[in-house]
Amino acid sequence: MTTVRAPGVWKRSANLRVGFLYLLPSIILFSVFLFYPMIRTIYLSFFLTDQNGNAAVNVGFENYSYLLTSPAFLNSMKATGLFVLYTVPIGIILALFFALLANEKLKGIGFFRTMYSSTMGISVAASSVIWLFLFHPSVGLFNRILLAINLPQIQWLLDPEWALVSIAISTIWMNTGFSFLILLGGLQNIDEHLYESSRIDGAGYFYRLRRITIPMLSPTLFFIITISLINAFQTFGQIDILTKGGPSQSTNLIVYSIYREAFINYQFGTASAQAVILFIIILVVTVLQFKLLEKKVHYQ
Amino acid sequence: MQRNMRKTVKLMLLFLTIISLAVLAACTNSDSSTKEEGTKGEGEDTKGEATKTEDGKVSIEFWHAMSGTGQTSLDEIVANFNESQDKYEVKAEFQGTYEESLTKLRSVGGTKDAPAITQVFEIGTKYMIDSGYIEPIQKFIDKNDFNADELEQNILNYYKVDGELYSMPFNSSTPVMIYNKEAFKEAGLDPEKAPETFSEVIDAAAKLKKGEMYGFSMLTYGWFFEQLLATQGGDYVNENNGRTGDATEATFNNDEGRRVFETLNTMNKAETFGNFGTNWDDIRAAFASKKVAMYLDSSAGVAGAIETAPFEVGVAYIPYADEVKRNGVVIGGASLWMSKGIAEEEQDAAWEFMQYLTTPEVQAKWHLDTGYFAINPKAYDEENVKEKWAEFPQYKVTVDQLQDTVPGYATQGALISVFPESRQQIVTALEDMYQGKDPAEALDQAAEETNRAIEVANKTKQ
Repeated sequence: MTTVRAPGVWKRSANLRVGFLYLLPSIILFSVFLFYPMIRTIYLSFFLTDQNGNAAVNVGFENYSYLLTSPAFLNSMKATGLFVLYTVPIGIILALFFALLANEKLKGIGFFRTMYSSTMGISVAASSVIWLFLFHPSVGLFNRILLAINLPQIQWLLDPEWALVSIAISTIWMNTGFSFLILLGGLQNIDEHLYESSRIDGAGYFYRLRRITIPMLSPTLFFIITISLINAFQTFGQIDILTKGGPSQSTNLIVYSIYREAFINYQFGTASAQAVILFIIILVVTVLQFKLLEKKVHYQ
Repeated sequence: MQRNMRKTVKLMLLFLTIISLAVLAACTNSDSSTKEEGTKGEGEDTKGEATKTEDGKVSIEFWHAMSGTGQTSLDEIVANFNESQDKYEVKAEFQGTYEESLTKLRSVGGTKDAPAITQVFEIGTKYMIDSGYIEPIQKFIDKNDFNADELEQNILNYYKVDGELYSMPFNSSTPVMIYNKEAFKEAGLDPEKAPETFSEVIDAAAKLKKGEMYGFSMLTYGWFFEQLLATQGGDYVNENNGRTGDATEATFNNDEGRRVFETLNTMNKAETFGNFGTNWDDIRAAFASKKVAMYLDSSAGVAGAIETAPFEVGVAYIPYADEVKRNGVVIGGASLWMSKGIAEEEQDAAWEFMQYLTTPEVQAKWHLDTGYFAINPKAYDEENVKEKWAEFPQYKVTVDQLQDTVPGYATQGALISVFPESRQQIVTALEDMYQGKDPAEALDQAAEETNRAIEVANKTKQ
């Protein structure tokens, strides 16, 4: 007689099982589109692949040891690091500056808000082509301006010293729109009363900025820093259109290097190993961010 | 509550079943296609029913990578073919750049979903032969007693491996040196006689350098290095350029290769060499806007240069080293490959279309529209070609250079499956050298990286 005895494991786990059922759709979708490709990538990273991309020779950790000693890949890591340093801080400070400006209640401010966020509406490909014209060595706008004011011309995309900076400039321009919009949203969410009472207490603009705006905005700032960092690590489109990783590999960021290894050289093994290394880097950076930065985030 | 819960669970189960069915279906699909790939080859060359149009014509797909004027011209040629007979219908489909369409081909190659004809760039030749996706054209030439001898021998040479023609040449080009005749006059040089050897180029470049105008330039692209190597008779890889066996080692860092790098380095150091990067449009714009007086371009770019430049344009053979004889040029461009594993009728249709493409009329149109060579030299006797040549004698130079080429392993072109990767290494070496790296060192490093790529490719070859 089952009814008399204490409920069995089957019955006690009813909640768990129902919970699992609820989760199943997303587990299945994630498995198909995320987990399986990821496991496959890790698997492939231990092999050399044949011409059709099938695993052919098991080489253990050789792909990794090759990459970590290859000057080309170390250069890619360095370029990626520099690129993140160039784009993320400046991009966010710029977006914050614009957001603070656009948060003022003025007549016609809607126009400026639209303008500042407008770069969001242009695809990476389209804006890269525009920048390609601006950077053109002989007929580009920037060099014409330099020529007009008697400064030496710069080989924006052809000089290894400048190419990464040029790409960083265009990337900052492309990404500012998105950061601006999110930050503006965060600013608008801050309670007016806080400002009112601080004004009554006689606090100046910068004091309010430091003591009210930034702390209240910190969850949004944290979000945008995390997203920008990950985005910067994954930059691809503008590289492909503007420099194709050149000159002298100076803009060969890891994602572009993965693409080239996989789809031009058809070495899915080393490409997968690079992808795994990039994954680990992003993971570490994100974990560090949560450990170090999140403490300073003020949640209401 | 209980009942409600049960209902939800039921609904969820239903939902799950649908999803898992869909996933399973997707999986089995890909499974079966890989199986087909696996069984191809062994004696089974054709399979299945041909695709037919409503009125009973055999319909085939033709994947190509021609954009711009090439695509317009090709679409017209295909339309003319479809009208010229009522048995076959060819559908031309643009599949992106050569690299992109090759990537797509990899996923359907050898199955019945593969296009009957695919256009593949010249450096994909070795890959295609090894892939097992294709049927050598030689089989159809022999079966139908097609007279391949009337086609341009220097072009056929590239696509022939062990005396067998694997693909039908289609759009072929070679490099030429294009120069600004007015700048030559101003610099006191003979505008009708371009410099022929490396040292002559160096001297001329020094004289031509004036203000904003550089003397010489070359697109930072591996193809041009290969050409300057081949015209000296230098091999790119061992095993006679990979023509008599699988290449195992790069040889382009030999004396011939060094001379190319040294020459470029000398001009770069003297600041008579203009570096305009890796983009074809940039270097062409630089020439048209008088930023450079001489540069290397593809023969397919001659028409554009004549049209856009506001001055008189000269076209000459590519330069060679003073120490050696001129050998000539290697064919670049692409050829058409016949798929294996499709219906026999479809192969017949594809063969019919390829034959149509080799006729002098079609080749004359193609040559005039695009500047690519006619693979059938009889096209040069067509009236419209003669008229154009009379007006622009520069076109003829490109054809002469090709026909003057001395056949040999060097000018036949290298055969390696990792060519795209190796080209990238050359680009890096050139860029490093322009930044001040020692030319021999840069070249050696490119050779080393290429060796590794070849080694990996040979290791994984089944």
